[in-house]
Amino acid sequence: MSILPAIGLHHYLIVAGLVFALGFLGVLVRRNTLVLYMSLELMLVASTIALVAFSRFNGTMDGNVFVFFILTVAAAEVAVGLAIIVALFRRRQTVQVEQLTALKN
Amino acid sequence: MIGTEELLAQQLSVWVLLLPLASAAIIALFLRRSGTVAAYLSTAVAAVIGVIAVKLAFGGVRFEIAAEWFTFGDFTLSLGVNYNDLAALMLGIVGVVGFFIHLFSLGYMHDDGAKARFFGGLSVFMFSMIGIVLADNLFMMFIFWELVGFSSFLLINHYCLKDSAAAASKKAFIVNRVGDFGFLIGILWCYQAYGTVSLSGLEEAVGAGAQLTMWVPLLLFCGAMGKSAQMPLHVWLPDAMEGPTPVSALIHAATMVAAGIYMLCRIEVLMVADALNIIMWIGTVTALYAALCAVVQSDIKKVLAYSTLSQLGYMVAAFGLGSLVVEHDGHEVLIAAGVGAAMFHLTTHAFFKALMFLGSGSVIYGCHHEQNIFKMGGLAKKMPITFVTFTIGVFAIAGLPFVTAGFFSKDAILHLAQMKNPAVFGILVFTAVLTTFYMFRLWRITFFGETRSDAAAHAHESPLTMTLPLIALAVMSIFGGYTHGALGFLYGHAFDGVWSQIPHAEGLGVVLLSLAIIGVGAGAALAFYKPAGADALATKAPGAFAGLTLLKESFDTAYTWWVAKVQDRFAMLLNFLEQIFLAGLIVRGLAGVVGLLGLGARALHTGNLHAYVYWFLLGVVVLWGFAGGLF
Amino acid sequence: MAEFLFYAFSSLTVGSAAAVLLNRNAVNSALAFLVCLIGVSGLFVMLDSFLLAVLMILVYAGAVVALFLFIIMLLDMQGGERKPFSKFATGAYVAVGLLLTVGVVSFANATVELPRTNPEVIPAVGATLKNYADQLFTTYLLPVQVVGFLLLIAMLGVIVLSKKFEGLGDIK
Repeated sequence: MSILPAIGLHHYLIVAGLVFALGFLGVLVRRNTLVLYMSLELMLVASTIALVAFSRFNGTMDGNVFVFFILTVAAAEVAVGLAIIVALFRRRQTVQVEQLTALKN
Repeated sequence: MIGTEELLAQQLSVWVLLLPLASAAIIALFLRRSGTVAAYLSTAVAAVIGVIAVKLAFGGVRFEIAAEWFTFGDFTLSLGVNYNDLAALMLGIVGVVGFFIHLFSLGYMHDDGAKARFFGGLSVFMFSMIGIVLADNLFMMFIFWELVGFSSFLLINHYCLKDSAAAASKKAFIVNRVGDFGFLIGILWCYQAYGTVSLSGLEEAVGAGAQLTMWVPLLLFCGAMGKSAQMPLHVWLPDAMEGPTPVSALIHAATMVAAGIYMLCRIEVLMVADALNIIMWIGTVTALYAALCAVVQSDIKKVLAYSTLSQLGYMVAAFGLGSLVVEHDGHEVLIAAGVGAAMFHLTTHAFFKALMFLGSGSVIYGCHHEQNIFKMGGLAKKMPITFVTFTIGVFAIAGLPFVTAGFFSKDAILHLAQMKNPAVFGILVFTAVLTTFYMFRLWRITFFGETRSDAAAHAHESPLTMTLPLIALAVMSIFGGYTHGALGFLYGHAFDGVWSQIPHAEGLGVVLLSLAIIGVGAGAALAFYKPAGADALATKAPGAFAGLTLLKESFDTAYTWWVAKVQDRFAMLLNFLEQIFLAGLIVRGLAGVVGLLGLGARALHTGNLHAYVYWFLLGVVVLWGFAGGLF
Repeated sequence: MAEFLFYAFSSLTVGSAAAVLLNRNAVNSALAFLVCLIGVSGLFVMLDSFLLAVLMILVYAGAVVALFLFIIMLLDMQGGERKPFSKFATGAYVAVGLLLTVGVVSFANATVELPRTNPEVIPAVGATLKNYADQLFTTYLLPVQVVGFLLLIAMLGVIVLSKKFEGLGDIK
């Protein structure tokens, strides 16, 4: 099975890049706030892939530990963000981004 | 090391300058509503100034001090005091006459509602005038020159609710400004030509052989033309009589208008024959013109104003006559006779003109602010002190030999003219006859005959605070002519630097000439004018009357035409340009640009989250490109 | 073998990420996200970070996605969006495509030499628990404490935000 090239750092980085791009696209395109937020998390995940890959290929622990912290912070952030979205939903009865334009002009 | 006396003198000179400023500041800040306190404060300060001026003059110390104010590269503007005999004399006049006029104002302005403003203005004027007197360089003098103009503006406009007063003060300031423009150019040229504007510096430069041109002194004379109301900038002085009488006495008779002459004497080293010639003729023509105009005036203050104009013309003409070679102790000496004669006449004129203005003020006050002489009459019995002192003033200006000061000073000028320029001498003699003529006219109509109006009928003598200055000035008008000897107690040896320059006539020729002038002038006046309700000249020789009145109006008409046709149009053009460029393009344009930027920034806030994310994406791309070295 | 596994997991990841993007239904998107996380976990295993792989599942898939699903169902939205994309979809695709291209190109021309070696050659430092604990309690002790505070604040924040605010009116 060695017709396929050996998996190097590049491959992981390309995967991370693709996932990041898809997440970004989701932020740009989706109108539901919750799905938008999920795309945001996707971007975060992509960065974790890259970090772990680098950490592995440099032979250090730093990347892994950093991902540890990213995990924690992402969890906290999701909790708070969702609480905000819920409060917003209570006020405005909608989570469609187009209808949340109170900051216009 | 300077001695304590000199140090004290230097400090006193600074005090005498700053005290009236302090008085003005206190009045302006705290005493706006307390007129009486302001009046007493100002008068007290004037008294102190008078005492200091006399002490400094008779103390005999003469000095020069300067302090640097600011520097621009090579140029340094310094403020300093140049106290020589000339300055001592002028300071003495300003201090003493100023004090008496302050005292007079206490009585005259007693019932005025805006006393505080008046006395504040007087204090500002004293400050500015003393500044001119003591200034040691032309820039400093210019600063105080403008200040004096400002205080004159303030004080002429004292009765600010009258349109005529407002117009008169504006006219005075603007005409002065025209003169000051020439003055400023002269100062700049002087600096450029001689490298210094300090008076002692100029003396040194000229002594070291600097090239003298006739333009610098002529341009500087422009300032004197404006301030001392020489032709053609004389039009403001008669109108300036809108101010209260003490103001007319102090500013427009004794001191401010004399500032021009004083300045000329200070810069005497810069004079050349051509400039002196022009100055002399301007003075002579002014003297003659003013005397002719005075003959037909019916307002007592206007007569005195034209009389002042005429006497100023005398002083300027005297200055223009220049220096003279005299016999002194056996050998011949060149004296600056012009300076001596002009300053002497300035001094005596300050005394008797202030006296006459204050006398007229007393008359006006007594007649309840009636100023038309044809509505007065019979005041000789009703206001005896005023009558006697005013008579002394009239004799002084006419030049009664030996008894009055005016004789000596006028004699000096006429003698100088006779020695140097017969044509000018002839004109000045004729003007002297005219002077006597209209002064006696004024005297006769105002004080003699029966009372011609109710106001005159109820006239009464003025209170002591008004008659005391009259008496004092009358004494000075008598004794002010004796510059040395036992009778010269008024001056002592304090001003010998100036008095030594006076040309003295020998022999009886001048006495006879003076007597002849008085005889002809007074005789004609007393014969022609009887105390009556109308001007005798108008009734008997209407052509001459109309001609003389036209003489007076001509200048005003010409200036009004100029302002209306030329200047106003130019002003409108400038206004138009200003509206477009300055107000429109620059001010509102800049505001508009800022507004546009604001509108643009506002347009970014669409409230649409996705739009914000797109901007974010753009930012990331730009940053990435920048990091990748694209730009 | 390793390559095959890698391609499997990575296609799983990328595919489910695309599914998150393209699904109309929010719940479907959430579940696609979950699958994506599984793929990522597999990738982590391949990179010898076993602890992280498990943590990914536990924390991210187990807590975060669960929370998302709770909220989606709480908000009880009627149906899904008719069209999940706004009008600017094309523009977005183009923009992101550009972004990707730029990224890949700059990557290919990178001046920094990335190691092209086989992962098997490099001895795994060993992302074992022991090493983790080592790092966390010595080099990264301060961040651990700070993250503790952060979690506390987050918890407090959520509690405050969940309250009902009275009498503020509607922001229109």
